[in-house]
Amino acid sequence: MNENEIQLKVQALVDGELTGREAEELLSRLESDAGLKALHTRLTVVRGLMADAELPRTLPESGDFHWSQISKAIELEERQAKHMARPASGANWLLRWVLPLAGIACLVLVLSLQQTTMPDLDILLGSDHELELSIEDLDVMTFNTEDDNMSVVWLDYSIDLQQDEIDLWLD
Amino acid sequence: MPEEPAYSSAEEPQLVQWAKVGDMQAFEELVARYRDRIYVRAYSIMRNEDLAVDLSQNAWVKAWQRLEQFHGEASFPTWLSRIVTNLCLDELRRQKRARTDSIEAMEETTGPVENRMEVETIDPVEGLSRGELRERIDAALAKLSDKHRTVIVLYEFEELEYREIAEKMGTSIGTVMSRLFYARKRLASLLKETLKRDGLIE
Repeated sequence: MNENEIQLKVQALVDGELTGREAEELLSRLESDAGLKALHTRLTVVRGLMADAELPRTLPESGDFHWSQISKAIELEERQAKHMARPASGANWLLRWVLPLAGIACLVLVLSLQQTTMPDLDILLGSDHELELSIEDLDVMTFNTEDDNMSVVWLDYSIDLQQDEIDLWLD
Repeated sequence: MPEEPAYSSAEEPQLVQWAKVGDMQAFEELVARYRDRIYVRAYSIMRNEDLAVDLSQNAWVKAWQRLEQFHGEASFPTWLSRIVTNLCLDELRRQKRARTDSIEAMEETTGPVENRMEVETIDPVEGLSRGELRERIDAALAKLSDKHRTVIVLYEFEELEYREIAEKMGTSIGTVMSRLFYARKRLASLLKETLKRDGLIE
């Protein structure tokens, strides 16, 4: 234990924070160490001086004014707490729920319309025979010339048709 | 019509019970009884009149909001004192964040060097009233750094244990002990100077 630690132990003893065997050991050490004993005495005196040493003071404003400030602050905090706890008003409710839901509904509607107006990539080949072509089979090339005021769209179905199917198709 | 309670003559526990159920007049009476005491504690830590007033007011507002949590384990003024002390410590932390506390940091890290200084011997002062001594101690406390003064106030006036001070100040028990030791040495030294100057000791 270094000098600093032993000084703090003496202080703890003066403050009653040291108990049991530790306190007994230190007390017996004080008997044989004049320096530590003197420190113990000085710290005890300082502690004695500090007991009940807080200087009484009077609030530097009138009691009525002090209370008015406190009661105003309490009222303000209570109003704020009530405001926070209150359910959302009509306008807030509209902003919080109706508008986002309306937005989602519009999006769903647009997507649905797009789906119904999109060209059906499945090609029907007749009332009795049908050949299904899916988008994976479709290659599209477009050519646009403004000079000729013309757009060319080239659709390529590179599918492997069986001969009998072609025959059937050509019937 | 029911008779209005006699607040000024009511016992403290009764006032607290009334205040707990929302009786503001009962709470006003409690404020009237303990406002100076709460202010004194705030001032002892902050050493600034305006801040001490503001923090005292905040403490009363917090007390009103937390009255349900007061179950009488400690006395009502002790409970209030803890609230204002906590607010003061929060304020000191806020101030510390706003400035560089280099001198105090140096004091903290040079513990073994500072501890070479002897604790002054102060003989019991004859012919000095308790009030006069308090004034001199108060003047000496004002010269301590925030950290050292706070630890003294929490230990000597608020009567907290080392462990409780460490928790409140967010530090270790060892640091509390070290700060308390240094604060006492400084106090003893400052007191000796002032008592000598006033011719009260040789």
